[in-house]
Amino acid sequence: MSKNLVLKNISKSFGSLIAVDNVNLTVAPGEFVCFLGPSGCGKTTLLRIITGFEFQTSGDISYGDKNLNNVIPQKRDFGIVFQSYALFPNMTVSQNIAFGLTMRKMPQNLLNKRVDEMLELMGLTEWKAHYPSQLSGGQQQRVALARAIAIKPNVLLLDEPLSALDAKIRVRLRAVIKRLQHELGITMIYVTHDQEEALSMADRVVVMREGQLRQVGSPWEIYKHPKTSFIAEFVGTSNFYEGHIKDSHVIYGKYSFEVSEIDKVDSEKIYLAIRPEDIEIVGTTIASDECVASNIVEVRTELVTFLGAVVSITVNLEGKEMIVDIAQKEFAKKPVKEKESLYLYFPPDAFHVYSEIFKKLI
Amino acid sequence: MTDYTVSSARMEFDKFIIPTVTIFILALLFFFMMFPLWMILKLSFFEGGELALANFTLSNFKQYFTTAYTLRSLWHSLYVSGVTTVIVTIIIFFFAYALTRTTIANKTFFRNIIMLPLVAPSIVQALALIYLFGRNGLITSHLFQTDWNIYGATGIIVSEVLYCLPHAFVILFTTLSAVDIRLDEAAESLGASPFKVFTRITLPSAKYGIISAAALTFNLTITDFGNPVVIGGNYSVLATEIYAQVTNLYRFDLGATISIILLVPSLGAFMLNYYISRKSFSMISGAARPFIPPTRRLKKILYSVYCYLIAFSIIMIFTTVIIGSFVKVWPYDWTLTLAHYSFPSIGGYSAIWTSVWISLIVGVVGSFITLVAAYAMETRQPYFKQVVYFFSVMPAAIPGLVMGLGYILAFNKPYYWFYGTPWIIVINIVICNFTLGILSSVSNLKNIDPSIEEASISLGGDTLSTFFKIIFPLSRVAFIQNFTYFFMRSMTTISAVIFLVSATVHLAAIEIIMLDNDGWTASANAMCTCIIVIVFVMLGILHLVNKWAGKTPSTEMVSG
Repeated sequence: MSKNLVLKNISKSFGSLIAVDNVNLTVAPGEFVCFLGPSGCGKTTLLRIITGFEFQTSGDISYGDKNLNNVIPQKRDFGIVFQSYALFPNMTVSQNIAFGLTMRKMPQNLLNKRVDEMLELMGLTEWKAHYPSQLSGGQQQRVALARAIAIKPNVLLLDEPLSALDAKIRVRLRAVIKRLQHELGITMIYVTHDQEEALSMADRVVVMREGQLRQVGSPWEIYKHPKTSFIAEFVGTSNFYEGHIKDSHVIYGKYSFEVSEIDKVDSEKIYLAIRPEDIEIVGTTIASDECVASNIVEVRTELVTFLGAVVSITVNLEGKEMIVDIAQKEFAKKPVKEKESLYLYFPPDAFHVYSEIFKKLI
Repeated sequence: MTDYTVSSARMEFDKFIIPTVTIFILALLFFFMMFPLWMILKLSFFEGGELALANFTLSNFKQYFTTAYTLRSLWHSLYVSGVTTVIVTIIIFFFAYALTRTTIANKTFFRNIIMLPLVAPSIVQALALIYLFGRNGLITSHLFQTDWNIYGATGIIVSEVLYCLPHAFVILFTTLSAVDIRLDEAAESLGASPFKVFTRITLPSAKYGIISAAALTFNLTITDFGNPVVIGGNYSVLATEIYAQVTNLYRFDLGATISIILLVPSLGAFMLNYYISRKSFSMISGAARPFIPPTRRLKKILYSVYCYLIAFSIIMIFTTVIIGSFVKVWPYDWTLTLAHYSFPSIGGYSAIWTSVWISLIVGVVGSFITLVAAYAMETRQPYFKQVVYFFSVMPAAIPGLVMGLGYILAFNKPYYWFYGTPWIIVINIVICNFTLGILSSVSNLKNIDPSIEEASISLGGDTLSTFFKIIFPLSRVAFIQNFTYFFMRSMTTISAVIFLVSATVHLAAIEIIMLDNDGWTASANAMCTCIIVIVFVMLGILHLVNKWAGKTPSTEMVSG
């Protein structure tokens, strides 16, 4: 189990459509990697190439020192968990879990022992004689997990396994999967379009768009340092503004901002992104000398929306909408009303700068 | 980490399964469909059937088209089929309209009755009509004491109409159920009169269904053999002419030539139907059928009367044949008797038992082979998918009689051991009904989540395990339906096998014609009744099996 899964220059096209575009990635043993991206970004195709259900148009895939390019799915020894569970409806829970072992001609006594272990591990023992249609969605997906790990796969591949489930069960199963990964040390590749799922579970997140890997990094890195404007919007959300550089400041309308990352962009035109929760509220009034201090602006509030843990305030900045999120606790101390004047502070290091912008954002 | 691994040898072997199955299916269709057809083509265009440029001749066609005696069968066929098509389409349109768009009572009853003709050979209509309107008909000679009788074109048309009703009904009922009734309501709310709504909205929205039903009716009528041979008298049609040329005159070449002539209109109608039904499927929306607004009183009464009249006609056909088989001398001596059920002229019941066991084999083989073929076609890595599909759909376009003649020409050689045995009949019926079997198998497989197959593969499942442990169990409801279809077709088909029965192999459906031909009319009715009873018993058994198979939890997921 000390083998790397290596994808080298993997591309896949369907006719003129390029689904996966020159992907390079190494997944370390025991690592939990999430493919994150909007639908159509190629993440599922990439997963299917790893499983062997699709063959790459070019590039190499290998596990350890074994090249997998021409290896059929049956011989890859990868476990797969499907979005639709894909349990065999004509078999009981036990028979489902045993299927892969039967195909491997495991002796009956060992097989029974393994199935019992799996039932125990997933808390399914009392359901073992039931048919899938008699189980809830969450239970079915646990059977699917048990079935996939019963064969002790080299890598466990999960294709949006939780997206058919409702919110509460989804959160609970996340914990189950995470625990499995810790206890069994299985290498996992997990495909999802849900950024919360990716951030909360993965050791490493791979953000994909248009068939390409756009950023690979820890959840923290991806969230705090989104490489592109698309990632800044897709993972979490951001406010975007178009400005230009003058005297090492960013000019936006009548404002001039100090921005830590300013050197990252060498064009004159610059796009600023700032996350709603990184903006600080100074107050409804300020002392007159503070006004000169950089990065403090006066805005007009338009809408105050209570969302539970956070309060979202929509303000107008130079005719463009800006969302400011503050913790509910803080809001209680300094309440903000709609249609009034408000002073905001933009910490210089809270800005992310981009020379280009994803066209949908502005 | 992986402890037990999937056997490599097994996986190497597995690679050959789907290609082998595909080649087997294609070989089967080539050998038992294309080869016989080729023999017909050869015999009609080449002197003595010898393939050589010098032998090419159109003399057979010339002879057919210049001999008034044979040529009339073409005009007769076109006339009879054309009139039948118009009548059936109109009758069934309003019948289906009544069942989908009005609130008349007893819809289930009507739906069951209209399907009744499917359980009997397409000869039951002719037998009943002769008993009612024939020379000694109950209504003609007995009731009205007239000399008029129904033999000839009229008889063929009436019996074909009654035979084609269920086939056309299925199409128009589906069409009218699928077209959104809210369109009618919207038009009405905009001030359109009921007549306008009907002509401008209802009719156009059902146009594909109407054309499709008409094409199917035309195809069924022009290829039917049973009814015209019994009730046609001297009025020959293409199908009866082929039979006469072959069995009476031993003119196989002319039989083959007329087969080609018959193929043209039947193929045309089939292709039109195929093309149209592909088109109309795209029009069917998944919207749930909304509530049907209450129908006005007069309209409701008129439609009810109309439906009862049609249902009555069908019931009358069946009761006439059944009663006719139990009375001493129809319509003079109504004493009940079982004498007609002893079949002394054909050696008792052996034909019936042959039919039953052939049908059981056809049912199992047909439904299994079409499922396997469909799976090979719909699997993750199909081979020649389009080719297999094309050749699988073809049998439906070929008249059974033509196929049967092709079988004689192709296989009447000493080295085809199966010729003259029941096996050639089994093969012939399976091939002739291959299309519907494969279409229903494909649509069943499409209902199974493709991830299920992938799950099996990812766990190390090979093709055979995936098929036998997962796909086959999940298809059992469809399998039983296909079995029912093949069994029913096998019990009732006449035209496909009339050339294939031999001195040693008799079939019940064919014996009806023989009995009728030899003047044992009441026995013919009795034989027909036997077939109806057997089909009903089988339907009952299969209904119970289906109920049991559908109830187990394992199938709930796929049927949903």
